[in-house]
Amino acid sequence: MTDVVSIPETEIAPGQVGGRMERVEDERLVRGLGRYVDDLDPPRVVHVAFARCPYPHARIVSIDAGQARAIEGVLEVLLPDDVLGRTGPISILRPIPEAPRVMPYALPREIALYEGQPVVSVCATSRAIAEDAVAALDIDYEPLPHLSDVEKALADDAPILHPELGTNLLVQNPRGDGNPDAGFAESEVVVDDRFRINRVSGLPMETRAILASYVPGVRELEVVASTQAPHLFRKQLSDSLRFPEADIRVTTHDCGGAFGLKLGIFAEDVLVCLHAMDLGRPAKWVEDRMEFFRGATQARESLHVARMGASSDGTILAYTNHYYVDLGAHNSPMGSPMLSSLMFQGPYSFQHGYVERNVVLTNKVPVGAYRGYGQPEGCFVRELLLDRIARKLRIDPLEIRRRNFIRPDQMPWQTPGGAKYDSGDYQRCMEMAAETIGYEEARERQRALRDEGRYLGIGLACYVEMTGYPGSKFLGKHGAEYGAHEGVVVRANRSGGVDVYTGVPPIGQSTETAFTQVAATVIGLDAAKVRVIAGDTQGTPVNTGSFASRTLIAGSGAIERAGREIRDKALRVAAFMLDVPVDGLELADSVISSVDDPEISVSFADVAINAFYGHRLPEGELPGLEATAYYDPISSAFSYGTAAALVEVDPETGEFSLDRFLFVHDCGRQVNPMTVEGQLHGGIAQALGAALFEELVYDGDSGQLINGSMIDYFMPTTADLPKIELDHTEVLSPVTPMGIRGIGESGTIPPGAAVANALCDALAPFDVDINRLPLTAEYVWRLVAESRAHA
Amino acid sequence: MTQTLIDVRLTVNGEPVEHAVEPRRSLVDFLRHDLGLTGTHVGCEQGVCGMCTVLLDGEPIKSCIMLAVQADGAEITTTEALNGEELHPAQRAFKEAHGLQCGYCTPAFILTSVALRERGLDIPREELKEELAGVLCRCTGYQNILTAVETYLAADD
Amino acid sequence: MKPAPFAYERAASADEAVAMLDRYQGDARLLAGGQSLVPLLNMRLMQPEAVIDVNRIPDLDGVREDNGHVRIGALARYSAIEWSPIVGARLPLLSEIVRYIGDRQVRTRGTIGGSLAHADPTGEMALAALALDATIVVQSPTGTREIAARDFFLGPYFTVLEPADMVVEVRFPHHTMVTAFAEHARRHGDFCVISVAALGEPDGDAGWKTVRLAVGGASHRPFVADEASAALSNTALEPDAVEAAGAACVEAAEPSDDIRASADYRAHLLPIYVRRVLDQMKARRSQGAT
Repeated sequence: MTDVVSIPETEIAPGQVGGRMERVEDERLVRGLGRYVDDLDPPRVVHVAFARCPYPHARIVSIDAGQARAIEGVLEVLLPDDVLGRTGPISILRPIPEAPRVMPYALPREIALYEGQPVVSVCATSRAIAEDAVAALDIDYEPLPHLSDVEKALADDAPILHPELGTNLLVQNPRGDGNPDAGFAESEVVVDDRFRINRVSGLPMETRAILASYVPGVRELEVVASTQAPHLFRKQLSDSLRFPEADIRVTTHDCGGAFGLKLGIFAEDVLVCLHAMDLGRPAKWVEDRMEFFRGATQARESLHVARMGASSDGTILAYTNHYYVDLGAHNSPMGSPMLSSLMFQGPYSFQHGYVERNVVLTNKVPVGAYRGYGQPEGCFVRELLLDRIARKLRIDPLEIRRRNFIRPDQMPWQTPGGAKYDSGDYQRCMEMAAETIGYEEARERQRALRDEGRYLGIGLACYVEMTGYPGSKFLGKHGAEYGAHEGVVVRANRSGGVDVYTGVPPIGQSTETAFTQVAATVIGLDAAKVRVIAGDTQGTPVNTGSFASRTLIAGSGAIERAGREIRDKALRVAAFMLDVPVDGLELADSVISSVDDPEISVSFADVAINAFYGHRLPEGELPGLEATAYYDPISSAFSYGTAAALVEVDPETGEFSLDRFLFVHDCGRQVNPMTVEGQLHGGIAQALGAALFEELVYDGDSGQLINGSMIDYFMPTTADLPKIELDHTEVLSPVTPMGIRGIGESGTIPPGAAVANALCDALAPFDVDINRLPLTAEYVWRLVAESRAHA
Repeated sequence: MTQTLIDVRLTVNGEPVEHAVEPRRSLVDFLRHDLGLTGTHVGCEQGVCGMCTVLLDGEPIKSCIMLAVQADGAEITTTEALNGEELHPAQRAFKEAHGLQCGYCTPAFILTSVALRERGLDIPREELKEELAGVLCRCTGYQNILTAVETYLAADD
Repeated sequence: MKPAPFAYERAASADEAVAMLDRYQGDARLLAGGQSLVPLLNMRLMQPEAVIDVNRIPDLDGVREDNGHVRIGALARYSAIEWSPIVGARLPLLSEIVRYIGDRQVRTRGTIGGSLAHADPTGEMALAALALDATIVVQSPTGTREIAARDFFLGPYFTVLEPADMVVEVRFPHHTMVTAFAEHARRHGDFCVISVAALGEPDGDAGWKTVRLAVGGASHRPFVADEASAALSNTALEPDAVEAAGAACVEAAEPSDDIRASADYRAHLLPIYVRRVLDQMKARRSQGAT
């Protein structure tokens, strides 16, 4: 059922849900008063650096730390033997279904499996001295044959990286429904190709960082970390350090960007804690950028062998995708992204689809979660194949999508991939995008310009995005080490507002502001009086964290529950204080007043003070004014939309300009439209970066990373990205609090496909098909040149 | 090897500073850890990302690729210099335009804009993008940063 | 990434700087803008025994006119060159090219002397020096000598400079040629994939006397394309002449594969960029620009 809600933004006060509230985070951040891990310099702090394996695969023959230890200022050197006996492996938070768990230890016993793997840990009075010591280590490596891509890893003669597995194919996960073979047999046209998705880095501006403090005897391990999930971090540290979780505190004050890379602990975190515990001094590690490119999780690399079949009118009849994920050397905490499989269908109604994920181990940095979690890759493959079918059948790409969209009245919709779409009007977003970009005029201009020898192209891509998890039970069935819920403590303060305690840390996603707006709206408070205390495991309910576009859904649900409890109690106490019936009272803007006579009123602050003293409370009412509540989603919610791009290409050189880019989306009810736009801008920028500029390149022979530095990894600058135009609808989700859907990852999903489709559209006279990323000028040139050669 | 320390005397945010530093100490590490001015951030130590931008005699530089000893006699301005009771107009422009998310790049963009405004020129958007291209941002896609800077540059004194 | 330890020296004059270089016998590096050197120190790709800071040397950063030349001190910052009215009037090609270098922050500190000594094979400043027929003035413990730009660059990060040499000045002759420049890069401000600079002296209505082409990014060092330049001089830049020039440039180039582009793509782009730059030069002539 379509329920498009459009509340004109001017009507909503900024502090309420739906308002464009300026961020509470900004007061400290614009002043440079954020507290990122490296901003903390406790007394006697010491610094950690690591020796990292320079080879993609090597036996560690011997380590001589004598010279390193002799350097003045070096306090401790940890070798594998110092660590393996007293630590457990690093657990996997989100296991790959049916796969053996390949969990690394903080240091390798004998074999290093990727360039960049930490091999020795050094702690010294300064980072510079720690690096001097690392340089003074004498480590003898025996390079071993390495596997630099999935094809090599699956070859018959490939060395097996984890002998206990007997194979480099970690697991095969099939998923799907219907009878694709029959669908292909009936198809008028079938297209297929092998798509190579590039390996990229999320590249937050703040690298990984941790500060661990330990006081011997007191048994308190205090950790400040740049992480998306302090409670999960805490649990994993407890497991690996074999140290009681109750004695560990993890705090994230501010985090300079995460995007999925800072989910869970890494080897370095365990080692830093060991130094802190051994030395009884605060130990800090701030990853430098060279380490980052060889140690922080990487993303997306996969080979998709995909096929799509359609009838003569363009109705999709079947879709299959056998894809190979280059996992790297072992699991990262969030494993191989799941959602290329779960979401392969996108917004289309075909019933016959089958995907098979093959997770392959190679000698590279482990792949982990990165914004989009498999959806950008899946969308790219599907949308490009759909456009190829459109070209073959000579059906306009807009029209072919109209013929395939799931309709709003068909919701909820069970997909062959196993997702249950909640609600949405997919076609509407596409039509809005087409109108805004001036589709018809663009087609006319395209025709006119071709006569002049100029090549304009229009490209579209549509997506559906899974946001949030369908409940904790679902995660339990899949072996996840966390739930789907959020929990909050909401406690009235004596200044007229409430303090909202959440374990969700600030990573740029504006949670503090959004939670402020939800609390203010639900309870009836002046938003300026709400405080959000975020990211500290001490004092916050055990919760999950900021990822999977789930925070606002689950967090709002929890705040709603807790808020209602507080509101109800505040009204009861106020009624008693005012000596009026409770049903005649309302709470708005931090004031409780009688609906009939607003003069009869009491401030929320006074009610709270009274409740804290307990002096004048109704019979049976306990002192205090607070509530703890959890919210476990009943279902995922599915955001959706369309990206559209206009390009002009010079076939002679492959150079092209992205002249217009727009994005029309639906994320259900928007808590803060301003921050929603920000999330989209950022996701789209990352998508365009990954589609047009970025790639982590490994040398085929040496297996080493060629471009592991900011100089050679081409992240876009202000001058490289176009203006991003946005528009939206607001179809409420029927399965979430307030009808909210997640938005954090949407921007990453369709842009690459939209630009690729625009390029193919522009170069249609050359009959060019794109099947890899990134879309560099050189790549486009080669496509045209090859096509000309064949003609 | 314990290095010989070199004396540096400079002005930071209008205050005279005197310190003895190792030759290899970078200016950004000096500002952050020797002077406790942590508003300037570190992102790459390769001179690319611009997180470490400060003003040297009023002009923006990357302090991760400048040695502290080179700053002897210089006037350094960091983001802390803009902090007062009220938000500095550049800070306010960023807040109003939602020109930041994680905040890590924000001081760098703000200082670059302040120096830009000092030059007093009328800068069209395409050129503005180039003036700002020395600082990277991974959160905002630059859209609102440009809006914030345009607003700030256009504001009356 | 913290550098390996090094000693820090400050030179108060060019004499002192080269004497220090001599004393360290090749194990010291001059520190000017530091925009290339310090990243290398941070990454420990360079570990000199000492670093000699030359930023305090007086009178080495000026831009002045002298007897038919523009004389730019080695320590002149990119931004000073960018904003210099003398450069703008006399060497507009240099003004134009310098805006492609790095970004605002880099241009505040980077110096022309440091850039030429560093000799990045894709370096725009080196290309400008070649295109504009600059003379590089070098001081050593034994005296001063002058080296033509076209004799200065030997290979990637490799020049004729000896360990105790220091660039002190770069001298550009006045010219009245129309100039143009274009480059292809992976992203804004980045090292170029390919760059072409063109200068031409108009002759009559549509003809050109001397035409000079310089190419960057297509070889182990930037170079003046002599044969191509000859093919264009004394022509009206007809399509045949332009094509011949493009082919001659490709012939003279020895492009490599690297992370930014393949050798094939560079070779492919080169004649196209030659054509574009020459078109630009023609257009500027019509507009009355130099």
